[in-house]
Amino acid sequence: MNPRICFYFQVHQPYRLRDLRITEVGHGDVDYFDNTKNGEIFRKVAEKCYLPANALMLEMLENHPDFHISYSLSGVFLDQCKEYGPDVLESFQKLAATGKVEFLAETYYHSLASVVSLEEYCEQVTKHVRAIEELFGMTPTVFRNTELIYNNEIAQIARLMGFNGIISEGADAMLQGRNPNDPFRPPTFRLPASREKIVRKHRPLPKRARDIAVLLKNYKLSDDVAFRFSDKSWVGYPLDAHTFTDWLMNSGGQSVNLFMDYETFGEHQWEDTGIFDFLRSLPAIWQERGIKAVTPSQIIADWNKDHAHVYDVHDSISWADMERDLSAWTGNHIQDAALQSIYTLEHQVKMTGNEKLIEAWRKLLTSDHFYYMCTKYWSDGDVHKYFSPYESPYEAYRRYSHALADLRSRLSA
Amino acid sequence: MFGWEYPPLHLGGLGVACQGLVRGLLGNGVKVTLVLPHESETSDTEVRFPTDEFVQKLRVCSMLQPYSTFESFEADIRKVPKNKKDVYGDNLGEAISNYTEMSVKMTEDLNPDVVHCHDWMTYEAGRRAAAHHQVPLVAHIHATELDRTNHAPNEYIYQRERMGFEAANRIIAVSNYTKNVLIEHYGIAQEKISVVHNGSADMAPSHELLEFKRTQKKQHPLVLFLGRLVTQKGAVQFLEMASIVHQTKPEVNFVMAGDGHMFEELVDLSCKLGLQDSVIFAGKVGSMEASQLYTQADCFVMPSISEPFGLVALEAISHGTPVILSRQSGAAEVIEDCFTVDFWDTAKMADCVLTILREEPLAHQLRSYAPRILNKLTWQHQASHVQSVYTDLIHC
Repeated sequence: MNPRICFYFQVHQPYRLRDLRITEVGHGDVDYFDNTKNGEIFRKVAEKCYLPANALMLEMLENHPDFHISYSLSGVFLDQCKEYGPDVLESFQKLAATGKVEFLAETYYHSLASVVSLEEYCEQVTKHVRAIEELFGMTPTVFRNTELIYNNEIAQIARLMGFNGIISEGADAMLQGRNPNDPFRPPTFRLPASREKIVRKHRPLPKRARDIAVLLKNYKLSDDVAFRFSDKSWVGYPLDAHTFTDWLMNSGGQSVNLFMDYETFGEHQWEDTGIFDFLRSLPAIWQERGIKAVTPSQIIADWNKDHAHVYDVHDSISWADMERDLSAWTGNHIQDAALQSIYTLEHQVKMTGNEKLIEAWRKLLTSDHFYYMCTKYWSDGDVHKYFSPYESPYEAYRRYSHALADLRSRLSA
Repeated sequence: MFGWEYPPLHLGGLGVACQGLVRGLLGNGVKVTLVLPHESETSDTEVRFPTDEFVQKLRVCSMLQPYSTFESFEADIRKVPKNKKDVYGDNLGEAISNYTEMSVKMTEDLNPDVVHCHDWMTYEAGRRAAAHHQVPLVAHIHATELDRTNHAPNEYIYQRERMGFEAANRIIAVSNYTKNVLIEHYGIAQEKISVVHNGSADMAPSHELLEFKRTQKKQHPLVLFLGRLVTQKGAVQFLEMASIVHQTKPEVNFVMAGDGHMFEELVDLSCKLGLQDSVIFAGKVGSMEASQLYTQADCFVMPSISEPFGLVALEAISHGTPVILSRQSGAAEVIEDCFTVDFWDTAKMADCVLTILREEPLAHQLRSYAPRILNKLTWQHQASHVQSVYTDLIHC
């Protein structure tokens, strides 16, 4: 049997910080975010990626009955759509109207809450599920955590939240030679009662799921498109749609999970690399060769859990950097200090009941802020620099620490 | 190799860089004969300098000093006892030609593969020696006249520099910043310029020092400036920054170490800015004093208006001190764990200082991460880049 293809795209934009100064701290209504820059970047990416890519997806969905796709749109991306791109939101809604697109659940603020605060984590997932329902008229049943951060507990919590599927990175060390194209299941265990109680209290879906399937990113084939497509020194360059389809068919298992940043199309790989033409030619080739592109839920519907292998992940993994762990966001002094300081304020911030304050605090939870503070110059430093709007990790921390200081002063006022 | 200053007789970074490079080259097995305008006690390498006997023979001697300008040279001349005065040239131009003549003469019997000269005062000597021996000439540029004079160059010096750049088969610039100055303002073809950043002989701070700094509590944090008190070094910008910091955090002290012709003007300015109780002018400091200041400082600021490299930044880092560097500097190209600001943006400079003083995790990270550069930028390693320039020239 031919494997099926499962496309999933991450769509996210953080709220970048303004060049805050210490002299502004504690002087009342300070806006932490760079609205001009955020708007500019959003429009740039909209023109290069979101709008042309969505138009192409719509065309492919309408023309090819066996072509389906899935997205996770972060809550802060959706908020920015409202501010800077109603046209972008509308184009996603058009895709939703085809009935062939699945939207996944995630933390609204694209945060690291899953590894810091369970209560905040549950609240953010709930907020995101409600937003997807409201904007796209469907309730997500598959969960994907920020940047595919994953461990056994995260899988169990997702099941308790009510999801029957979760997305994760197919890390070699955990796969131990097994094929990432088969759905896995997490090891079975019970969470401490106190933690189960928190999940129950803030559950986004009506009831817990019996089982949860773990769909793993096939990072080799995903990265061929996302990272290597235009790399002239790569042995596979130039990548031909037929060749790529051969690779997909030869990779075996039930479904090849191609998970990537949506910005791959037009932003990371510019239009002149031929990335759109490559994408456009895939569905016809697949139709001819009897390959279906399906959503995560379609895979899970056909999943035989009794034959599933266990994907056992004690220490958190993610899809970031060579290390595929949390070291893109945590580990150096400034990252740890920033992360600790912001979450320390959780209780105090929520106690104020001040929506504006809570919103500002939550926007500061977005993982990108910590990503920009990464100092792993020796390996993935260039990737971090490419994505960072600031000139250095220290500049990222300088701005963040001023926002934090102001937040503290507002709390003590 | 035609040098200019060499420790222990040195005024600025050039002597230190020259020594580092010579030691690095020797470590890599390159034979170096160094020619200096003055006697040197170094045991590093064979040094040739004009001895009394030699001067007798040539009847000329130079009293060249680095960072000379025509005015300061005349001042020096006036300090020379009258009866000795005829030994020296009457003006800088004549002194250089004397130095040049002697240097070339002293090296006639050598058989070099490459002639390497450092900064404009030695370029003519380099040019003539290279022509005499018919070998390639390398002109090393540590600081241009435009850096020193804030783009109001002495025409004579500027022309000397250009002559050297044009005569050289290859130019070694101490940073991309300097390379761009050569391309933009001297019209030099970029293929002719190789960038070799300065190295450092400094050691990373000890774990104990870092722990001490992490745990100590200070009533009066200290922000340090170390450099000549001249326009080029951004001394005025330092005081402007200090004044902004002072408004938010009056308990901060500022030390300006170094001397220079702007001393009085800066004292005046600091009083005008209300900083009379916050700024300490330490004068010219020796290496022991400098070391103590670096260690005591909570933050080192190098606000240079135009800084080809800036070895002081590496010295501060080696004492476990966070640094804020002017973007108009070569050091900012190689040091990752620091703040960089435009020299004119003194408000941002002040904000960086205040952030470092407020945020201990940030200060600790800058103190402990920045020294990684010292392991990368060893003179041995940087000299190997210079060596490959030699190899290139000899084989082509």
